[in-house]
Amino acid sequence: MIRIFLQATTLLIALPVSLQAGQVDFVRDVRPIFEEHCHSCHGAEKQKSGLRLDIKSEAFKGGIDHAPDIIPKESGRSPLIRFVNGDDKDHVMPPKSERLGVAEIATLTAWIDQGAVWPDGVDLAKLEDKRDHWSFKPLQKQNPGRTIDDFIDDKLAEQGLHRSPPADPLVWLRRVTLDLTGLPPTPEEAARFRARISQNQGTDRPFLEVVERLLASPRYGERWAQHWLDVVRYADTHGFEVNTPRPNAWPYRDYVIAAFNNDTPYDQFIREQLAGDLMNRDAATGFLVTSAVLLPGQIGKDDASKRLARQDELGEMVINTGEAFLGLSIGCARCHDHKFDPITSKDYYSLQAFFAGVEYGDRPLRSPGAEAARQEAKRLTTRRDEIGKQLAKFVPLAGSGVKRAPVNAEQNTERFAPVKARRVRFTIRNTNNLEPCLDELEVFDSSGNNVALASEGALPTASGSRVSANRHELKHINDGQYGNTRSWMSNEVGKGWIMIELPRETTIERIIWGRDREGKLKDRLPLDYVIEVARDSGEWRVLADPTDRAPYDPAEQKPAAFSLTGLDPGEANQASHLLEEKKSLEARIAALGDAQMVYAGKFKAPEPMHLLNRGDPEQPKDEVSPAVVAALGDLTLPKDAPESARRLALAEWIARPENPLTARVMVNRIWQGHFGIGLVDSSNDFGHAGTKPSHPGLLDWMATEFIRSGWSVKQLQRLITLSATYRQSGHIDPAAQAKDADVRLLWRFPARRLEAETIRDSMLAMSGRLDLKTGGPGFDLFKSRGGLSGFPPVESFSGDGLRRMIYAHKVRMERESVFGAFDCPDAGQSVSRRRQSTTPIQALNLFNSRFTLDESEAFAKRIESEAGSDIPGQIRRAYLLALCREPDPVESNDAAQVVSGEGLPTLCRALFNCNEFVLLP
Amino acid sequence: MTDPAEHLTPNGRHLLDRRHFLGKSATALGSIALTQLLGAEGLLAAERPLIDPARPYAPRLPHHPAKAMNVLVVFCAGAVSQLETWDYKPELIKQDGKPLVGGPAVTFQGPAGNLARPQYTFRQRGQTGKWVSDMIPHLAELTDEIAFIHSLTSKSNTHGPAENVLSTGFVQDGFPSMGGWVTYALGSENRDLPAFVSIPDPRGVPQASVNNWGPGFLPAEFQGTPFSASEPIRHLTPPPTITGSRDQAARSLLQRMNARHLEKNPGDGKLAARIASYELAARMQLSVPEIGDLSTEPAHLLKRYGADDPSNPTKAAYARNCILARRLIERGVRFVQLFNGAYASAGKLNWDGHSALKEQYDVHAGILDQPTAALIRDMRERGLLENTLVVWCTEFGRMPMFQKGAKGRDHNPDGFTCWLTGAGVKPGVSHGVTDELGRRAVQDIHPLYDFNATILHLLGIDHERLTFFHNGIERRLTNVEGNVIQEVLA
Repeated sequence: MIRIFLQATTLLIALPVSLQAGQVDFVRDVRPIFEEHCHSCHGAEKQKSGLRLDIKSEAFKGGIDHAPDIIPKESGRSPLIRFVNGDDKDHVMPPKSERLGVAEIATLTAWIDQGAVWPDGVDLAKLEDKRDHWSFKPLQKQNPGRTIDDFIDDKLAEQGLHRSPPADPLVWLRRVTLDLTGLPPTPEEAARFRARISQNQGTDRPFLEVVERLLASPRYGERWAQHWLDVVRYADTHGFEVNTPRPNAWPYRDYVIAAFNNDTPYDQFIREQLAGDLMNRDAATGFLVTSAVLLPGQIGKDDASKRLARQDELGEMVINTGEAFLGLSIGCARCHDHKFDPITSKDYYSLQAFFAGVEYGDRPLRSPGAEAARQEAKRLTTRRDEIGKQLAKFVPLAGSGVKRAPVNAEQNTERFAPVKARRVRFTIRNTNNLEPCLDELEVFDSSGNNVALASEGALPTASGSRVSANRHELKHINDGQYGNTRSWMSNEVGKGWIMIELPRETTIERIIWGRDREGKLKDRLPLDYVIEVARDSGEWRVLADPTDRAPYDPAEQKPAAFSLTGLDPGEANQASHLLEEKKSLEARIAALGDAQMVYAGKFKAPEPMHLLNRGDPEQPKDEVSPAVVAALGDLTLPKDAPESARRLALAEWIARPENPLTARVMVNRIWQGHFGIGLVDSSNDFGHAGTKPSHPGLLDWMATEFIRSGWSVKQLQRLITLSATYRQSGHIDPAAQAKDADVRLLWRFPARRLEAETIRDSMLAMSGRLDLKTGGPGFDLFKSRGGLSGFPPVESFSGDGLRRMIYAHKVRMERESVFGAFDCPDAGQSVSRRRQSTTPIQALNLFNSRFTLDESEAFAKRIESEAGSDIPGQIRRAYLLALCREPDPVESNDAAQVVSGEGLPTLCRALFNCNEFVLLP
Repeated sequence: MTDPAEHLTPNGRHLLDRRHFLGKSATALGSIALTQLLGAEGLLAAERPLIDPARPYAPRLPHHPAKAMNVLVVFCAGAVSQLETWDYKPELIKQDGKPLVGGPAVTFQGPAGNLARPQYTFRQRGQTGKWVSDMIPHLAELTDEIAFIHSLTSKSNTHGPAENVLSTGFVQDGFPSMGGWVTYALGSENRDLPAFVSIPDPRGVPQASVNNWGPGFLPAEFQGTPFSASEPIRHLTPPPTITGSRDQAARSLLQRMNARHLEKNPGDGKLAARIASYELAARMQLSVPEIGDLSTEPAHLLKRYGADDPSNPTKAAYARNCILARRLIERGVRFVQLFNGAYASAGKLNWDGHSALKEQYDVHAGILDQPTAALIRDMRERGLLENTLVVWCTEFGRMPMFQKGAKGRDHNPDGFTCWLTGAGVKPGVSHGVTDELGRRAVQDIHPLYDFNATILHLLGIDHERLTFFHNGIERRLTNVEGNVIQEVLA
């Protein structure tokens, strides 16, 4: 009180004489103060806290947290005065530079108390209309008779430039084949193309045939789906710290591949990804939940943490929809109105309301066969478990001299000659780390019954137990339930013992134990142990220990394959039959299981959505209805609109031909896919912060054609890949280079480095080892499919590992160890366009990795089998396969010396690394 | 061509684009002195770094004169308790065992228990008389040189996202790491080593793993290269089945192939850049094994770091990583990130002391303390701290209460301690205050943005001007926040 009083007194004293009596004039007295002290943060350039003091309407609207900041006639209540006065310790204005003088504060105070008169028409700045932006306007009508080349040539002519001559047809063939399918043309395809050209002199027919062949190839969708998956940041793990597998995400990846292959009309592609559950395209809504997400266990137990996590989840859906379909950075409006674009915070939360009933998670794939599949899987699982028990009878006896499988975390069998036992003791002497943990200790009698179960009357005791909340209790050792949450843990690091007392002396012949039979955890595994039994008489006798097991390999994550070593022929025969049946059952169960769940969002009754002050879930304001960005449309749904109707309505609004953004954004992505950069280079941002199109007329012409063709991506790609612009040479003309180094005007074809996937796939194609199997769960790039403890890479690939890279199990944030360094997206944030870095790590990976050396060997073998032992012939074949051309004499001689000295694989290794191979010509 | 600005944001984001660069440097790639080029364009205080594609790690000029040339970050994963280390709370000793009045009933992991006294004895150290605990006796001796910031806050109370915040400024996955930003801005003084090296803890990777050293959406040149004294760079050399002569034959054949190809495609900078990248890779093949070879370090030095301690292999391995860190800094590697602590493991492998804090911290401190202190002293004695900023950090702090039914503390992002020492840092400062129980920051509160802005500032970088355009936004390490903490600057 005293302080306020003193200040007020000081003010009165300091007030200039002219003001004590007269009127404050805004332009003469007030505006100069704003200009000097406030505009640097609250003016045209910056609007900190959303406050702008150089425009009347904005100034009276006020900032985000304290609006209005100016309350006419009430200086005492006006935040502006409080802040400049320094009354509010957290908001002293200006915060960094020199404070306002007493007289200046007095002027502002007087101005407000006199009614804060701010005459109209005196502002020096003008509030720009954020809606006034090229991409928000309807497509400009273009002459439909024009071609892509006409538009390109016009711009080139303006700069005195011209298109380059056509590329060699075989260069074009290599270009278009890599571009459309992500694989190089085969020498046979090249030869056929050459023959067709000589048969059809002067016509485009051979070129047309090639494009049709490539667009019809299943390889096409595998290539073009990757561009889309980059944008939506697709991965097969959940991301964030635990990064656990998302095992049912892949149906969405397969959906996208199929959509490209089928040339699904793009407007339909949009509808399916937002509401495919209503259109018999269940997997398509994987789009909604492609982002990283915190799992329940990673979210704080307090309510505020839960609310924040939910907002983060919903935010990712809004961001994905905005960026992928509309090319708008809507996410910016979560905490404040968008700085550049006409997107308010209210728009953000209204859009979020379309997704108010969507949650992250698996759902049963709804299809006619799914329920039958579930039943079938259940039946097969029962049979598989039965076989597992039978197979255990054929595990080599402990101590028999036959080398037994190494210890593994999932399950270990100890078989021994039948022995009478009352007590069974498992003593641990060493672990791979920490306190030992066992999820179940099973003891089988001669008829295959587990007699150690508590339900059978068996009693456990232990050296000590380290119990945490709800887990690791002693009773979990024989409760018949598997997994970490139902496991016992010793209270000593690296050691401990557990004993089961059977209700009566029983003849037993097998013990099965594991750390985590669900296969999730690999730590706390007993490595050294001894299993003993005692009869009623009490004498302990050793049954098994790991001295006859193969050594434990921490890198080996899966249990060793069942071995037939040491079995007599009859047993071996029986066991191998069982094994085969089990293997086939497992494959069928996997296939059925995968078909029945999909990570494509779960739907529930929508929760109410509120505008959040500064994006803070703890500061909810008014409830909002589902509505599109107000500046772009007027679609609004009632607050109680049902869940699926919301998504469908949004999809229909986005997919309208009248939407000025939708077609433009997609045709630009397609163009970018072919030329490496879009006409708009910020392909995820068509707003004010994005770039203007280099060829606006061409962009709108293509968008119009795209819609007219029924939103056919393939039709657009025919136009592009057969255009003279696309078919021109990539050679550099120094004069043109000086004028347009970025080649944005396309005076030549802009050659670029191949993407990570294309390099890997091409190497496999050349070595002849590429496996073209399509669809289904991804193959492993790492020895772990998710989790905390790191991702040791698979180094030598075989089987499914030789499939195209789009079919890899994509671990979020973890780049593949050889090709990831080639700017492979990490699926953290949307990648609208891949960078093209050149790094020494890329060089090391491509030159030294096991993958390169393995494929060099295989490539060499293939060449030998196709070209025989003649070295020049081998070199010729190698060049045709790798570079789609023959070597010239200098190249051939050079290579011949290396091949005769160091062998063919050395040439192959150099070819895999050379610039000509890794560049799209 | 037309006015280039037509296609650019007002800030000219294309400075990073290699083709644009090549346009400026014509065909004489690498032959033009970079500074000359920068000077010619009037870009000595560039808003955004200009990257020479053939020499992406070439040194670049900062925005303002730098106090520090290099950074060493000691990153303690798992959230070190401020209450057991640097933030002395005598009131907490008094209130041991009492409930926290008005405190939360439920914290991150579940129900909260009662207040618990610091688990170690505190005593005053050095000239400043700063109270530091006995948990870290060696580091405690350095307090006169350190600037503590006791009032940091984080946006997340979950390890992975919070490590993201500390290293990238964002909760989400996928943003560039600080080391990435710094090497993007400044390049490196060393021609034969990566500009940014991450040294993982011998016990495993930190919770947010590669996010801590990833490039996010920056070009891949600027990602950290992970290796340690025990784990070499992957693919540094071919498998031993490839003989030296065979390797050399492949390498020189490749060189000739690329040279012929370049001759046929003159003026293409991409090709020259790839050739240069193979040359740098070849130099790394020589320089990296050399730098990782600690056999030239004298015995007394190994002893001083604890690298010869046979009783504690983890400590010895971490100590060898500390020596590696010093050797990297000595050779001008711009950004070295040294991890202490691995992933979530109920506090066994990192600082996440939920249930048995004292027991586990005894182990972790034994690994951290002596080697880290030896590293800082060694660097000081060699004069390296004249140019090197040392950062000690952790993703958040811990609660003054124990968790219900446990002897450990839950996550607390509302007030925790990190510190700086070395080049440009005011020694012997304690800035910012938490409340008398250490529950939350109450004075000079600094979100981690401020901490990161301060680190960039010491390197001569204005955190508001170091940007990269991605998906419609000029992204920064500090998002739209950040104020340099002036009080810790020398």
